[in-house]
Amino acid sequence: MTEKTNDSRRNFLYLAAGGLGGVAAAAAAVPFIGSMLPAADTLAASKTEYDVSTVAEGQLVVIQWQGKPVFVTNRTPALLKQIDGHDSMLKDPDSKHIDLVSAKWMTDENRKYRSIKAEYLIVVASCTHLGCIPGYKPSAGRKEWGDSVPADWPGGWHCPCHGSLYDLSARVMNGSPAPDNLHLMEYEYTSDTTVVIG
Amino acid sequence: MLNTIMKTKLFGWVDRRTGAADIIKSQLTEYPAPKNLNYMWNFGSLALLVLVLQILTGVFLAMYYKPSAEFTYISYTVAFDSVERIMRDVNFGWLIRYMHAVGASAFFVVVYMHIGRGLYYGSYKEPRELLWIIGVVILLIMQGAAFFGYLLPWGQMSFWGATVITNLFGALPVIGESLQEILRGGFAVGDPTLNRFFSLHYLFPLLLVAIVGGHIHALHVVHSNNPEGIDLTKDEEKIMFHPYYTVKDAFGVAVFLLFYCYFVFFNPQAWGYFIEVDNYVPANNLSTPAHIAPVWYLTPWYTILRSFESKLLGVVMMGASLAILFALPFLDRSKVRSARYRPVFKWMVILFFVDVVILGYCGHSAPTPTLKLIGQITTAYYFAFFILLLVVPKFEEKFLKPVPEGI
Repeated sequence: MTEKTNDSRRNFLYLAAGGLGGVAAAAAAVPFIGSMLPAADTLAASKTEYDVSTVAEGQLVVIQWQGKPVFVTNRTPALLKQIDGHDSMLKDPDSKHIDLVSAKWMTDENRKYRSIKAEYLIVVASCTHLGCIPGYKPSAGRKEWGDSVPADWPGGWHCPCHGSLYDLSARVMNGSPAPDNLHLMEYEYTSDTTVVIG
Repeated sequence: MLNTIMKTKLFGWVDRRTGAADIIKSQLTEYPAPKNLNYMWNFGSLALLVLVLQILTGVFLAMYYKPSAEFTYISYTVAFDSVERIMRDVNFGWLIRYMHAVGASAFFVVVYMHIGRGLYYGSYKEPRELLWIIGVVILLIMQGAAFFGYLLPWGQMSFWGATVITNLFGALPVIGESLQEILRGGFAVGDPTLNRFFSLHYLFPLLLVAIVGGHIHALHVVHSNNPEGIDLTKDEEKIMFHPYYTVKDAFGVAVFLLFYCYFVFFNPQAWGYFIEVDNYVPANNLSTPAHIAPVWYLTPWYTILRSFESKLLGVVMMGASLAILFALPFLDRSKVRSARYRPVFKWMVILFFVDVVILGYCGHSAPTPTLKLIGQITTAYYFAFFILLLVVPKFEEKFLKPVPEGI
């Protein structure tokens, strides 16, 4: 045994013990942070069933899914026509940015209408900017809406909080603070008019 | 009186076991403070008073408040009803709640004055950099505590304010979505959010107490700055904190309470600035109020957020506008502290105060193209002020007024 201390050996042991302690502390943080994630019952309530035939032609209904508001609109052929011809005004006309704005059921044919059945558009009603619920302003032009919408307004939604604009397929228009189209979600028709969202 | 107490046998018994006499002497009766402090130096002790008031009233409110978003009748909830019960049925509940609500705004008034004082007289400069930085941490925790507290009444503004702010975190790349879920405890603001915000609203003031302790400790190491911004070396330039400044602070408290009591008893809503009218409508997740604005003390930062077209950039710049306060002591390298002897800096900092008020006004109002432009200009100056401080000390030298040797 030597009297002299071996400093580099000591420092190594300090670092090793301290490092392991750090790993243990990080591991101990897992359950605490995990407890802040959505609980099992919150996750279980993640599907919603809805009968779209209750939405009249031209009507907009707001339902709830996962505690979030969801728009269900029944677009008349006239409203569907208003979706054409302004792709140049849109940030992301084909909903290609992220998965959330382009769900798995999306095919090249329904990119314009952003729905499985063209007339029934189902989208999350939270503005992708900061989560306000946009107001429905379906008719084209400024006649009904004043200067809250641009002169060449094709019809759609206008967010009251920071003025984001979406067309009738809930695609975000250039100049809006919102970065993305209103989010789509997974849904399927279990019968002709019953849709299960989630 | 303090002397008489300190001579008693009981005090002697405590002193031998805690060293209380040394603490009282070094921190109060023999703690030297500059003799030329003006009334701008009253706001620190006022902030401490309001913190104590907020904790006291908060503890009593928590005896009756129930953090639950469960529905009782139509859109009324347990939380909303419990606040109304405090207002109508609980003995003195109205008083304690209004003290707490007015106190929140009062806290920011005195703290913003306190920060403005530090800016004007260069109290952030060497050797007080860390004192300033601890103060910025206090500001951030205060803003957090205020944000958590505002959700608790579960009114429309509570709900939509929390929705907007938690959405901000969603803008961050990669971690945004999970961070948002951790904050909300669900896919949208709801019952789990209310419960955790109540828990954090109770935790944050305790953090504040600890960090304010650190702030005062750091102050008592480097000592108070003064309006001249010079180091005081001679004993005759200083007076003892007790009784001179304890009395002056007490006078400040009396003046403050005059204003505080006016608002608590006669104008608790303060024209919609302290408590927003929409918050008397129960939270409804299917209907956004026509105009969402935070309470006045957060509106300057809200304007900075709104001034950018890109959501991510807005969030980043809002964060940067607060983070830059940490860097201030290292941006401004001028050896002269007080704006009294820096005419260029003096007008820059006065313009900065005006700028922040305009930012606040823009954030409180509904967005129009004119206000958006004004908001963008004021946002630009907000940042320009800090960036300019990097170069100002180099060319302001010929304008500097001679700094006095002593006072």
